[in-house]
Amino acid sequence: MKFQKHILIVVFALTTAFGFTQNETSNEVKFETKVSKKKLGVNERLRVDFEMNKDGDNFNPPSFENFMVVGGPSQSISNQWINGVRSFSKTYSYFLAPKERGNFKIGQATIEIDGETYKTLPVDITVTAAVEIPKDPNDPDYIVQQNIHLVAEVSKTNPYLNEAITVVYKLYVSPNTGVSNWRELDVPGFNDFWSQNIEMKGVKIENGTYNGEDYRFVVLRKTVLYPQKTGKLEIEPYTLDVTVDVPTNRRDIFGGRLMQSVHRTVAAGSRTINVKPLPEVGRPIDFTGAVGNFDFKVTTSKQTLKATEALEANVEVSGNGNLKLFKLPKLSLPSALEVYEPEHKENISVNLNGMSGKSSDSYTIVPSYQGKYPIPSVSFSYFDLKTERYKTITSNEIVINVDEGPINTANTVVNSNTPKQQIITSGDQFASFKTKTNFVSISQPTFFKTKLFWTLLLAPFLAIPIAIFVRHKQEARQGDIEGNRIRKGNILARKYLKEAKNTLGNKDQFYNALERALHNYLKAKLNIETSEFSKEKIQELLQNKSAEQNTVSQFLELLKNCEMARYSPFSNVEMKQDYDKAANVISLIDRQLK
Amino acid sequence: MNKLLCILTFFFVVAGFAQNTKDFAKGNALYNEGKFQEAITVYESILDNKVHSPELYYNLANSYYKLNRVAPSIYYYEKALLLAPNDADITNNLAFAQNMTIDAIDKIPEVGFSKFVKSITNTFPFDTWAMISISCVVLFVILFLAYYFAYSTTKKRLAFIGSFVILFIAFISLFFAFHKQTLDKKDNPAIVFSQESEVKTEPNLRSESAFQIHEGTKVQVLEKYNDDWSKIQIANGKTGWIASENIKLLKDF
Repeated sequence: MKFQKHILIVVFALTTAFGFTQNETSNEVKFETKVSKKKLGVNERLRVDFEMNKDGDNFNPPSFENFMVVGGPSQSISNQWINGVRSFSKTYSYFLAPKERGNFKIGQATIEIDGETYKTLPVDITVTAAVEIPKDPNDPDYIVQQNIHLVAEVSKTNPYLNEAITVVYKLYVSPNTGVSNWRELDVPGFNDFWSQNIEMKGVKIENGTYNGEDYRFVVLRKTVLYPQKTGKLEIEPYTLDVTVDVPTNRRDIFGGRLMQSVHRTVAAGSRTINVKPLPEVGRPIDFTGAVGNFDFKVTTSKQTLKATEALEANVEVSGNGNLKLFKLPKLSLPSALEVYEPEHKENISVNLNGMSGKSSDSYTIVPSYQGKYPIPSVSFSYFDLKTERYKTITSNEIVINVDEGPINTANTVVNSNTPKQQIITSGDQFASFKTKTNFVSISQPTFFKTKLFWTLLLAPFLAIPIAIFVRHKQEARQGDIEGNRIRKGNILARKYLKEAKNTLGNKDQFYNALERALHNYLKAKLNIETSEFSKEKIQELLQNKSAEQNTVSQFLELLKNCEMARYSPFSNVEMKQDYDKAANVISLIDRQLK
Repeated sequence: MNKLLCILTFFFVVAGFAQNTKDFAKGNALYNEGKFQEAITVYESILDNKVHSPELYYNLANSYYKLNRVAPSIYYYEKALLLAPNDADITNNLAFAQNMTIDAIDKIPEVGFSKFVKSITNTFPFDTWAMISISCVVLFVILFLAYYFAYSTTKKRLAFIGSFVILFIAFISLFFAFHKQTLDKKDNPAIVFSQESEVKTEPNLRSESAFQIHEGTKVQVLEKYNDDWSKIQIANGKTGWIASENIKLLKDF
């Protein structure tokens, strides 16, 4: 054995010496890094060779940060003569397993050849998510692979938007292997999900079956997910580095199998979740994305209070569903109330069934004035997963009675016609109904701008010229005394002769009437009886009253004519003459009588 | 025949008024028992007979207030105020009803001379102003004639000055009658009836919303477009378009 080694060294020395003599001048020094692949999955391995074509000393490998050195370094040297040409190579090999995903560099290695230091170029390596390694029954890893499984159990692969689903990662280990340790290499990111990890207390080993075989399993991670986007969403793989005890064929002195620790990277494959959108049909306007099963109520701490006392109104949603992921409906309160920003409270626990508990907004309200204040009804809509329908819960309207306090005066708008008017504060109470009324027709005619209005407005002005004119006429008449007497006599005659005038043309009636008129006149003027009517008497009386002789005779002649007319014919012309004469005589006598 | 018809109508009207008064009493009785909805039905049946009174509107508004219905309550209080602008009970209860509204809008205060003129103009309805001007004209004519016919110098002087003062008052009140009528024509208030409505910048549904108003707010209708849209102005001077179905005009007797 020792002898053989010696021979080898001798041969080696010889060949080296030979090589030097042969190619000393023509050979250039090469020192480079070779990688088996530049892109690999996090569960794969990588071989890195540092190769040189001349022997050197003081090889200094780079620090393989981000990688774990699984094997190496191993050296190999090869010498070849082909057609008298010698080629030499020396290689340092490393097997690396990436620790995590990302882009990494394999740094420079250095070596001293013939007193000079050579460096390799750095190499970029991309480490991607775990890839499935093709099964190879001869691969020793494969045996391990058969015994250890990391499984992601998804509760529902076809949920609605905002419906809770759970992902449980379980590590199944077959009974004939053991896992001594594990380390998370790649924590899955749940993009487009609201996720919450459920804390696991300790590790509990349970028995179960996997693909029909008995296994032990450990639940590693439980996550509740609420999809926030519709469509196909991917859950990224979860990668673990597991230290597995694999049985070997060797046995210890007691005959038990010796176990060998092997590092293994296991990954749960990526899962695709197909998220359905919520139906458009029947979606209420006030729907804000609540999905689950909820109860909704609006409560107030009190309903009757005094002004300036505080009151709390509580808007509360309780139940199961995405409680943290929607906004509570807002209360719209009368402006006369002083309202503070609501205080948001949540009492939500997350378990495998999703979120449950209650979420509430509490408003502090302080009324400043007395009166009734309605808190209008608020509606809350959610999508019920059981019936797959939208449901709306409407709270009851609550009326707050503020029974003591000042009355609201600032905010009062009285009839806009009358500019701002102070509210009469004598009535501190809501006034009751009125008992008496007078109804008027709804369609009242207006007076302004009617014809009647214009007439009434302008007519009085006309009265001024009329009155002035009348006054002037009166004054003129009063000045003319003689004319006045004539006018007076004329009026008197006309009065007595009225009947005669009416019968003008009818001889008998006319003269009868004329005679009667003359007699009547005398009766009125001279205060005599009809029996005393003799011509002499009349003449005497008239003359006593200082009537002129001429006039008296005319009067008597008329009376004579009246008598004569009964027996003799008179023409219409004569009748007219007699009428005019009578009128003239009466007016004359009237003037002459004292 | 015509006379007979007149008399018949008169009797009919009188009988109608009597019936309305009876209904009013019945409505009051229902109100007093707390049956507000029934009271409303009775009161509104009186309105169907084309008669009204401030008290009727007031009682109707009270009933709506008791049922916590903000918009109709304010609507009828405002109507009652149109008929009886100085009634203390109405303004008092209107303040109560306005506490229930959601919108708080600051009023733009009016200042200066225009406020003064407006306040005087609003003391009487324009028909009263017309009456005042007519009586002033009559008084003027009488005084003027008294001046014309009077003999003593003092009397003449007094009558002359008095007549022209009265004539001046007549013209002023005529001006107020015209001014009041234009003010009345411009003043076209309405009450928002829908619980919450968007006020748009243009009279269509596509346009942006300018602001929101809530039930019971009083607005001024400035103009209408196609009857579906009304341009409104709120108390702080902002304007916008609202669907006409959301508001109810106050002067729509």
